[in-house]
Amino acid sequence: MNAPTLLNSCAKAATAAEARFRIDYPNSRARASRIIALDDKAAEIMRRIEGELWSGAHFLTFRSRHAAPGIASLSINATLGAPNGAETKLSTELAGADVVIMIASSGEGMEAAAAVGNACFVRGIMTAGLIVSHDRTDAHVERAVQALRPYAAVLVIASDEEYVPAMLQALRA
Amino acid sequence: MLRKDVNDLLTQTGPGTAMGAMFRQYWMPALLAEELPENDCPPVRVKLLSERLVAFRDSQGRCGLIDEFCAHRGVSLWFGRNEEGGLRCPYHGWKYDHTGQCIEVPSEPEESGFCAKIKLKNYPLIKIGDILWTCMGDADKQPPHPEWEFATVPPEQTFTSKRWQESNWLQAMEGGIDSSHVSWLHSGALNSDPLFKGARGNKYNQGDKKPFFEVVEGDGGLFIGARRNAEEGKYYWRITPWVMPSFTMVPPRGDHPVHGHFWVPIDDDNCWAWSFDYHPVRALTREERKAMQDGFGIHVKYTPGTYRPLANKDNDYLMDRAAQRRGETYSGVEGIAMQDASLQESMGPIVDRTKENLVSTDNGIIMARHRLRKAVTALKEKGVAPPGVDPAHQRVRSASVVLPPDQAFIDACKEDLMVRPGIKQSSV
Repeated sequence: MNAPTLLNSCAKAATAAEARFRIDYPNSRARASRIIALDDKAAEIMRRIEGELWSGAHFLTFRSRHAAPGIASLSINATLGAPNGAETKLSTELAGADVVIMIASSGEGMEAAAAVGNACFVRGIMTAGLIVSHDRTDAHVERAVQALRPYAAVLVIASDEEYVPAMLQALRA
Repeated sequence: MLRKDVNDLLTQTGPGTAMGAMFRQYWMPALLAEELPENDCPPVRVKLLSERLVAFRDSQGRCGLIDEFCAHRGVSLWFGRNEEGGLRCPYHGWKYDHTGQCIEVPSEPEESGFCAKIKLKNYPLIKIGDILWTCMGDADKQPPHPEWEFATVPPEQTFTSKRWQESNWLQAMEGGIDSSHVSWLHSGALNSDPLFKGARGNKYNQGDKKPFFEVVEGDGGLFIGARRNAEEGKYYWRITPWVMPSFTMVPPRGDHPVHGHFWVPIDDDNCWAWSFDYHPVRALTREERKAMQDGFGIHVKYTPGTYRPLANKDNDYLMDRAAQRRGETYSGVEGIAMQDASLQESMGPIVDRTKENLVSTDNGIIMARHRLRKAVTALKEKGVAPPGVDPAHQRVRSASVVLPPDQAFIDACKEDLMVRPGIKQSSV
């Protein structure tokens, strides 16, 4: 049956007048977003925005390279730094996480990207990589791309750090 | 999710709006050249950026795009007589030339010079390719003429159509950079559409339904790469360029013509979806051109005598649930263009983006909105010309390639993503 179905027809349903009747209710629950800075510059960028109003996002800095070598070699035992200076385990943060967004600004975070990316992969957690650099041709950017590509389902290279909060707001972080 | 104020900022393009001011910085497609086929042909109503205009081609072949309404009593000049160097209002005979200048007011003595005091708002119309382009900004700040490759290759290598889409321009344009919907909504077309089928890349599309994405800024906008698995550990990349504010290209397939779109606001609730197909180095075959005229690929069949799609919201897009069940179409709507348009129109004329739940794979859309907002603000506050005005930004191509896993598409495909006259598109 291909004929229009009168009151249910698209001609009526797709009008601005009908759009007013879209049900107004919260159609999603808060996401468990983990924002992880992989290097020092990325951590600085993150610090500038972590005080804004977010929907439960955890802002974290990868720190395992400062840990004892034996511990750092096990990615799930990697340590992360919270904004209040406390340390937390990667495994703790990934429990129940919906999405992990890794932020990098140089190629220093290869070890961190691998640790976080692998841990997310085995848990089936969505990953995104965001590289912030004014100069895309910079060798650091290329290293960051190489570091993140295997572990990020989505990789974004942004020229300005304003994109970080814009992206996080868009994703309801 | 987008705040309401930002949604309003990006979707409102009428006179006096910030986004409207930005659109007025560019040359935009206004009409198909076929709409004014000969001197003194009938005038055509045109509505762009919420301004009602009329286009006509005078006795000397000069094209004009002027205020639709006669300055005398407000009659639509669509009823006008296009004759002897101007468009004459049939009500009292006032006549206008292609610049909107009134050249005759029959009721007044010719010697009074009264008609010299009457002038309608006008915009330029220039023909490049199959299109008449206009720029609706300040006449003294017109940018260089457009240099899009599809419009500048020889006529036998290109085909352009347009269709009316009953939604805001932004939700239509966002469909053009939303690579992740292709594996679902258009999954039936890869095997059947004469302008798509047979390409080697199709099997990668169909074999890997969970592509990875990379979004990279370009001078004029963005390059969005979708990465799928190919043989021997290599990756198949489909790279979509977006040039501000509303030009998108689809990555090519095999030796099929390359296609893309312009999304031009008619008003805030409607837009023109301009669709082009071209081949950089060869003429379109008779079969390809016929397929385009018949509504295959990204083109549509029309309601006779109009540029409204034959499948439209008044007939529920000719929804065919049986074809949907058989798997011939994924949504039940036939044709790539109307598969997109039907869903985008179903959102309502201007979708409420405060209710969205975007995910990471929507980063192309998120970045496009971010760049639009920045450009609009920079123009409004500092008078900075937005990206995409410079013809250098327009010399882009889409591409589909197979690359080793360690190569970034933006570096490996640097030349593939630029217009290279005489060199064919990079396509798998």
